[in-house]
Amino acid sequence: MDKSAIQKELLKMFGKDRMLSDALDLMYYSYDSSFLTKLETTSPYAVVFPRSTEEVQKIMQFAYSHDINIVPRGAGTGETGGCVAVEGGIVLDLSQWKEIVEIDQKNMQVVVRPGVIHADLNSELAQYNLFFPPDPGSSLMCTVGGMVANNASGLRAVKYGTTEQYVLGLEVVTPKGDIIVTGGMKSRAIKNVSGLNLTKLMVGSEGVLGVITKIRLRCFPKPRARGIAMAVFDRLDDAPATVLDVYQAGILPSGIEVLDGSAIKAVNEFKPHIKLPDAEAILLFEVDGNPPSVEFEGDIIKEMAGKRARLVEWSTDPKSMAQLWEGRSVTAAAASRVRPDVSRIFAGEDISVPLSRVADVLRAIRELGQKYGIQVVNYGHIGDGNVHTAPVINPEDPAEVERVLQLVDEIHLLAIEMEGTTTGEHGVGAVRRRYAPLEHGIAHEYMLKVKQAFDPKGIMNPGKLI
Amino acid sequence: MEFKELPPVKEQLMKCVRCGKCRSVCPVFAEIGNETVAPRGHVFMVQMLRDGTVAPEQKVYDHLTNCLMCETCSINCPSGIDIHELNAAARSYIYEHNPSLAKDLIFDTMWTNPAYLKNAVRMAWGAQASGAQSLGRKLGLTKLLPGDLPKAEKILTGIPFRSARKQVPAVSPARGEKKYTVGYFLGCATDLLNPEVAKATIDVLTRNGCEVIIPADMKCCGLPHIANGKMKTAQQLAIENLKAFRQYDLDYIVTDCASCSSALAAKNMALLLGETEHRDEARAFAAKVMDLTYFLIHILDVRPPANAQAPKVRVTYHDPCHLANAQGITDEPRELLRRIPGVELVEMTDANRCCGGSGTFSITHYDLSMQILDKKMDNIEAADADLIATCCPSCMMQLRHGVSRRGLQNDLVHPVQLLSQAYQMSKGSEMKAAL
Repeated sequence: MDKSAIQKELLKMFGKDRMLSDALDLMYYSYDSSFLTKLETTSPYAVVFPRSTEEVQKIMQFAYSHDINIVPRGAGTGETGGCVAVEGGIVLDLSQWKEIVEIDQKNMQVVVRPGVIHADLNSELAQYNLFFPPDPGSSLMCTVGGMVANNASGLRAVKYGTTEQYVLGLEVVTPKGDIIVTGGMKSRAIKNVSGLNLTKLMVGSEGVLGVITKIRLRCFPKPRARGIAMAVFDRLDDAPATVLDVYQAGILPSGIEVLDGSAIKAVNEFKPHIKLPDAEAILLFEVDGNPPSVEFEGDIIKEMAGKRARLVEWSTDPKSMAQLWEGRSVTAAAASRVRPDVSRIFAGEDISVPLSRVADVLRAIRELGQKYGIQVVNYGHIGDGNVHTAPVINPEDPAEVERVLQLVDEIHLLAIEMEGTTTGEHGVGAVRRRYAPLEHGIAHEYMLKVKQAFDPKGIMNPGKLI
Repeated sequence: MEFKELPPVKEQLMKCVRCGKCRSVCPVFAEIGNETVAPRGHVFMVQMLRDGTVAPEQKVYDHLTNCLMCETCSINCPSGIDIHELNAAARSYIYEHNPSLAKDLIFDTMWTNPAYLKNAVRMAWGAQASGAQSLGRKLGLTKLLPGDLPKAEKILTGIPFRSARKQVPAVSPARGEKKYTVGYFLGCATDLLNPEVAKATIDVLTRNGCEVIIPADMKCCGLPHIANGKMKTAQQLAIENLKAFRQYDLDYIVTDCASCSSALAAKNMALLLGETEHRDEARAFAAKVMDLTYFLIHILDVRPPANAQAPKVRVTYHDPCHLANAQGITDEPRELLRRIPGVELVEMTDANRCCGGSGTFSITHYDLSMQILDKKMDNIEAADADLIATCCPSCMMQLRHGVSRRGLQNDLVHPVQLLSQAYQMSKGSEMKAAL
């Protein structure tokens, strides 16, 4: 079926107000936040905006019978090209389907459609003194559907884990057009070991198995208090060692973030008033809970960090906490602004390694940056070994682009070598797919068999994940 | 200067990492919800234009104009991109390849010459006053107007017969001891649509020791031209304004219009004239430009006389984008209101969210503009205020239309009007009655 015939059929199904087929309009769907889609742009055949499970079913049946690729998309804030039709196809933009179907306060659950924005969900839940803990940096714009499809997390993953721990069940439309419900058709149980766990299979499947149309999430009671500690280190190795000390002292902070020397420098150049101390590493601990436990945990963190840190500051006052956190909150932006003629890029930005290797990895990345003549800014969630590397380049200089792609490849290989993974929370998409056989060995072949079982024609988001 | 060489295009375009934060703040995106109107989408399209992937065609222009130029995205961009400047530059680039006689007539001839503009507004007044507007509407004649104009003509209600210039002298001496000589940049909309604001501005300034001069040859600030793809005309207007103010020895240049002050401020003047021989003069000129409320608080520190008899009035304040986003001025108008006896300032939710007016946007995109206005009006109604205050004539026009669409009774005022009233009330007049 050619592109214009596909567009005609979709027009009949969706009407002109809920689809895009003009070539210019379609170009806007050729990107997400990945560097890959800055280098290569591929437009889809059409974009549609489904608003019901039946509509998704109808389009899947149509696509399946005509062998047309389907690419689900949320807010397009991903960093892997995951929502871009790199091999052509129809994009399902689910970001307009943003209904909170039910807040089941009695069972501490919420049922949402895929387009609900993460921050919007949490402000609704706050009225019930609940929250959905995973907290990606893109909270203001990313959709819950996208979070589920990518098993997203954020800086509080160290205590609260990732999205998968909160997904109790899903409604999924399979490529053949079946509507399946995972986690039990009628179940509202929190614990459920009945059947093969298709929910876990779907979470993080990046749209290669089906389209997620409804999500049942578990919520947690909202903590009453927070505290922030900042610790400044003259030796990089002291940072992970301190993290370990804190854990061994029986404390599980809600977040532990690291800025290495490159990030400290970038922050100070971008916002001189922040005046981060010149150091090899800064750690930021966040603890949450009830006020006495927050104070108690803060005391232990101060004691543990004090063993190695040059300086430790602690606060539970919202204004002072914001000041302590300011350096971390501007790091990502600072990376883009260290020089007027450069930009940070999202590539090689999400490796995750064991805590014992974090310092080695940070040093190795710095050396790789020197080898390729590329400035790198490192920060991330040290509590779970998730390092965000921001290469800073002129993205319009072909020579620099070539060098950075080599650098990124080496960063990914380094992560695997250091007993880690190429991606901790952003996903694989199109940009890290080639590392799948290396990371998973024969298990990769089993992944392909699972894919084959769900999607025998290979129409679901081809070119991604596996 | 060639499109590709313009500073925002050359320096900022590459900085967009398409993180999508702009999706979360854009009022247009909130209504339409697809990527073609996301600010990062506009940045992407400007890049496509620059790279020649898309041609400078009208279709692209139409996409780029799905934007209020409210600058909310720019101030929230983690990469520090002036998205509105990129958009404006692209509009002008495309317009140069797709000129329109009608648009040239409106923006190059009518809107650069105050006399022509005044005549156009007087014709509109005549149509309103004689009932021809209503008759034309009934007969469907207004449907012959281009684009959304037939719907949008309803926004232009209550046009005054006499412009401000007809009512105020070119030079108003300071009352009492003279402190400053102030050039008053009397913007087109204040002049023609809100002469009461101009009178209040002059009243308050002169009471507080300012000699106020309105240069005769002053032109439009150029903001409507920038938004409508006429960057070159805006440049010309900026040069003419430099000339118009050059002959006076002014301490400050003050304007009560948020759009004018943003157009005359350093950033925009640098965009227009930063790469020309006028750069230094433009910089010196812009250094003197100040929004009226900022001037009244920080330079004059105005304190209207205490008046225990002043009637109580609840006022809610709407932040104009060109004041709050473009210039970061949000406290001063509120502080001014707080200093006025009898005024109780009540905050509306999302006071700094665009009202959808945005100069000519409400005319070119009427339906979308009304959707955005509806959200603002919901917040205004919830604030339960007597008066709505704001510092931008375009916002005033839009909000007035919102009030009328909902059958509400709130008056629209510039804070300076209440301030002027407060001074006069020390003689015992009623605040509300005089509005």
